[in-house]
Amino acid sequence: MRRTSPRLTVGLTIFAAFIILGVILPFFSPEDPRSWIRHPRNLPPSAEHLLGTTNLGQDTFWLLSYATQNSLFIGLFVAFFATLIGVFAGLAAGFLDGIPDRVITLLADVFIVVPSLPILILMSSLLQGRASLVLISIILILFNWPWPARQMRSIALSMRERQFVNTARFSGSSTLQILSEEILPHIFSWSMANFVNTVLVAIATESGLAVIGLSSLEEATLGTTIYWALQHQALLGRRWWWIGSPVVAIILLFIALFLISTGISSLSAERRGHGDA
Amino acid sequence: MTQKNRKALLSIVVLVAVVLFSTALVTAQEQTEVGTPRATTLIVDQLDGRIDNPTQTNPYQAGTRFNQGLHQLAYSNMWEINTATGEQFPGLAAEMPEALNDDYTSFRISLRDGLRWSDGEPITTADMAFTIDMVLATPEFPYSGFLSQVVDSYEVVDDLTMILNTKRSEPRLGYTLGVHIWGDSFRLVPKHIWENEDPATFQNYPPVVSGPYTLADVDPNGNWFLYDKRADWEHTDVGQIFGEPGPEHVLFRFYGTEERRIIAGIQNQLDIFTDISPEAWDILRDANPNARAWHENFPWANFDDPCERGIVFSNSQEPWDNQNVRWAMALATDIKSVGLATFAGILRVSPLAVPPVQVIHDAFHKPMREWMTEFAFDDGYQPFDPNYAVDIAAILAEQGVEGLPDSEEALVDLFGVGWWKHDPDKATEMLQAEGFTLDNGAWHKPDGSPWQITINSPSNFEVQSQRLAFAVADNWREFGIDAAVQQMDSGTFWSQYSRGEFDAGSYWPGCGALPDSWDLLDAFWHKRHIVPIGQPAPGNAMRYDSDALSGILDQIAPLPSDHPDTIPLLTEFEKQFVVERPWLPMFGTSKFVPVITTYWDGLPTADYFYEGPWWWWSLFKYHMPFIQPKSDG
Amino acid sequence: MQFAKFVITRIIAYVLVIWIGITVVFFVPRFMPSDPVESMLGRIMTRGNYMEAEQVEAMRATLTQAFGLEGTLAEQYFGFFHRTFLTRDFGPSLSLFPTPVNEVIGRALPWTLGLLLSSTVIAWIVGNAIGLLAGYRSRWLSSRALEVIAIFVYPIPYYITALILIILFIHINPIFPLFFSIRGDPPSLEFISSVIYNSILPAASIVIVGFGWWVLSMKALSSSISEEDFVYFAKLKGAGEGRIMTAYVLRNAILPQVTVLALQIGTIFNGALITEILFGYPGLGTITYNAVLQADYNLLMGTISISIIAVASSTLIIDLLYPFFDPRIRQR
Repeated sequence: MRRTSPRLTVGLTIFAAFIILGVILPFFSPEDPRSWIRHPRNLPPSAEHLLGTTNLGQDTFWLLSYATQNSLFIGLFVAFFATLIGVFAGLAAGFLDGIPDRVITLLADVFIVVPSLPILILMSSLLQGRASLVLISIILILFNWPWPARQMRSIALSMRERQFVNTARFSGSSTLQILSEEILPHIFSWSMANFVNTVLVAIATESGLAVIGLSSLEEATLGTTIYWALQHQALLGRRWWWIGSPVVAIILLFIALFLISTGISSLSAERRGHGDA
Repeated sequence: MTQKNRKALLSIVVLVAVVLFSTALVTAQEQTEVGTPRATTLIVDQLDGRIDNPTQTNPYQAGTRFNQGLHQLAYSNMWEINTATGEQFPGLAAEMPEALNDDYTSFRISLRDGLRWSDGEPITTADMAFTIDMVLATPEFPYSGFLSQVVDSYEVVDDLTMILNTKRSEPRLGYTLGVHIWGDSFRLVPKHIWENEDPATFQNYPPVVSGPYTLADVDPNGNWFLYDKRADWEHTDVGQIFGEPGPEHVLFRFYGTEERRIIAGIQNQLDIFTDISPEAWDILRDANPNARAWHENFPWANFDDPCERGIVFSNSQEPWDNQNVRWAMALATDIKSVGLATFAGILRVSPLAVPPVQVIHDAFHKPMREWMTEFAFDDGYQPFDPNYAVDIAAILAEQGVEGLPDSEEALVDLFGVGWWKHDPDKATEMLQAEGFTLDNGAWHKPDGSPWQITINSPSNFEVQSQRLAFAVADNWREFGIDAAVQQMDSGTFWSQYSRGEFDAGSYWPGCGALPDSWDLLDAFWHKRHIVPIGQPAPGNAMRYDSDALSGILDQIAPLPSDHPDTIPLLTEFEKQFVVERPWLPMFGTSKFVPVITTYWDGLPTADYFYEGPWWWWSLFKYHMPFIQPKSDG
Repeated sequence: MQFAKFVITRIIAYVLVIWIGITVVFFVPRFMPSDPVESMLGRIMTRGNYMEAEQVEAMRATLTQAFGLEGTLAEQYFGFFHRTFLTRDFGPSLSLFPTPVNEVIGRALPWTLGLLLSSTVIAWIVGNAIGLLAGYRSRWLSSRALEVIAIFVYPIPYYITALILIILFIHINPIFPLFFSIRGDPPSLEFISSVIYNSILPAASIVIVGFGWWVLSMKALSSSISEEDFVYFAKLKGAGEGRIMTAYVLRNAILPQVTVLALQIGTIFNGALITEILFGYPGLGTITYNAVLQADYNLLMGTISISIIAVASSTLIIDLLYPFFDPRIRQR
């Protein structure tokens, strides 16, 4: 019986590389890579500067490492809490009748119908400043929990009618038991997919805000790195190392998370007895 | 997919292909997208981006936009400026205002003979009288309040002459009702059109105008504005003064982001640019051999934009109410690294309250250089570093910049007279003397709390100030102060400034295009404008309360610009300004303002300097006779 | 009876959601550090006329009155609902004063709807078709390749994709126009063809960025449905592969995708901004953005109210139609 999946292995390996880059390496940085005019500008990659230097005289490699740290923080923080709140609110709405369902659904709908971008622009012009990465994350959570909540509610509704839940209920299991033993495994892979997507949405939204100049631009995130590179015309000026490294990092990060999520779901499908093809 | 669906799909594909092909052919035929011949259409960048109310051309309504050509080409002003000579000259008026008494409260104003509105009617004092009455009687117009504080009464003498009496002494009436920077809101409107309308709600589209071009067509989405040359151009002030404008059509056009503007320049689809960054200029220069900045070689940029950039303090709040703290911040700043990070060193420094534009540089900065070098604190320390120009040139030469001048004189001319020394030790000493403490590399205020500075900065709408804020914050962090930049949109940026609800910021209260910049200095620094924090300030948003500076300004106020005491008194003001150091001016503004010479001769450059490159100012219309279609093409 | 009750509760919720949403959007901007009068004053005063304090004060009063910002917040709030829902008039735009908000929105809305609806639907169709193939036919090389492309393209930030398209197809290989310009008048062929020609690149950027998610989610849905018992029975019954794919897998997988598509209409109003900035395309995004920056309350309320009502309505329609497709939900 196969217990590992190659997808999972590859995904975890890439993700581990990001953890090293973004969590461990910043502690070894020889300098604060955010400060300007530390090095000659626009150097190509070399042993001294692995990814060259930017037009602002920063070391691109260490900048990337700081940026990864902050973006991972935003992405994981937002995705974790948005998914957690969303799944539990959705399940609560689906399994509990009456008032809780109405209130949760109403709240979720309000956050879905209010367009997030104008509110984000409003909020960031209100809250811009030192702690803004955390604040931006909290605003992103506010706007990202209703999606999993709504989906979860409808999954819960349809699941209530499904056979295995009824079987469990007739066999005298408690609600909590049903929830943890029967339902959670079933929705786990869906939540993983949502988690992965929310990581990306969070990173992308933050960098979208950065591009219109509304994120905390002194902090290095993958978004603000792209912002500064675009501001200094790195794309038309063909400074690939500067503009390319954050873009490639975002793509690789997503692929890693995607592989992990599909890997986990195929593993759990295997455990439940459906082979992965 | 059924057979029928396949057919439908196929026909859509064919249609799209045909459309693509035919439109590509049309563009190939040297036409602009608005259907005018490319060779006779001057294409200009649209400074304010998309205009969402393109047909609102009533010049007095609050939300009307002007930078899409309306004030550059369509409306002429009473008095205009020539930034090359630093003088005002009459536009619609025949002469500069003639003062009839020593108090400067009564003036004879005459209009140029033979001027006509774009519908052929003559421009007379009846239009001027109508405009004044109409604006004063329409309190919905924001300008109404200003005009009512100026105009007391008028008397029409004949079709071309009027006596104007003012409520207060107006030794500079040409400044008050004419252009001395950017443009002026006093715009004559035709009586015969407006007298039948309700001015507060009148759209005025298409406008009947006094300038040499008429607004011929607009994009309903506000992305472009097309102007046509008037057939009767000889009946405009531009025609009378300089002759026939060259371009048949002028197209103001919004391309969007800087990338798109560069691409437009490379494809010869844009003749005159608004400002771009040094990086963008490098790309454009490499890709289009006909691209040309103000100077043919380094430093490329024009340094004569009339507002200098630097760091402003909210002077009524601590610690900025302390002169020694402000001086310490100057000495903690490495002006060379700030200049390199901001605009790659392509900047002219300024230690004074007025910008280092050529005419002012010659009138104040250079004559005062020796005084500044000798200037010393009470303890004998001399803070001035006159070698900035030589030093930055050496750094740039090392980076491979070519075409730098050799002599010190030429370098000072280019990079400025010098700035304050970068002397962190002296700054430390001064701060410690004021009770600040340096603990573990981090500064603490006298009350023991960590010293944090927040620098307000424009988000994207003013690149040089934005980059400067980040570069200075970087410098001060190095020095041990927790400095952060807070970027904001223009509404927030200006309203925090005006309410005094900021700590520090990269604002620009140092403007002027002419040697006599009394009115601007007065607005920025006179203590009578000060209002409490939280209330919007009519002037002096820094809330800098100085008897000495205000006293000098009061002495200058009654003097006209050409009075022999005006310049010496302004120099006194500058000296007192240096001593008190209310803000840190750093650099004049560098504008690359590239032009593409593929279709046009005579676009303004340093080699053909009839006028500065201020095409977003109302004086752009006076460029037109100098700009002619390329003779060989 | 039960269905009628469901419809009524749903409609009550619909009205509540719109009301709460609009209320939130009414109050949040009024706590911003900038306000429309100061923003307008700042713009007027930077035009070079310096005024004495009392004149500025007078101008402030004039603008406050003209902008309808007198009175308490509560009065303004009720005034807004009264005016908006009785006369369908959002008042004058404050930053473009006195041009009416209705006029500004009326000009921009068709562009936003046209571009975003069509490109969102194209992305949805393309993405789901590929996703279905990838999920149901996961061993086919081509479906795997398409899936891999989707995985790689999906995470690229939108503005990077758009800029690359601009550089490739406007700069290096100028097939498409740099400058958005429409020729001809609305019903003519020239007009339609120039709209299509000008819109291809912005639409392509949205499709490229959008279709990846549909591929990935559809693939996940259809591959799990393919493992369900009823598909297995259908195979035993001898149904053809194509029929299983469309009648069994697609029919069951498409429902959640339709739901999400309906909810996506909301992001249409968000997504337009960067597209408009990068492609110079007309539309509501830039208008909303400028309205926020200049604290143009009236314009902001106009665009956001329209967006809220559009999204809430499409959610309502989906919810009301859902029981007809999925009888298990009819009870609720």
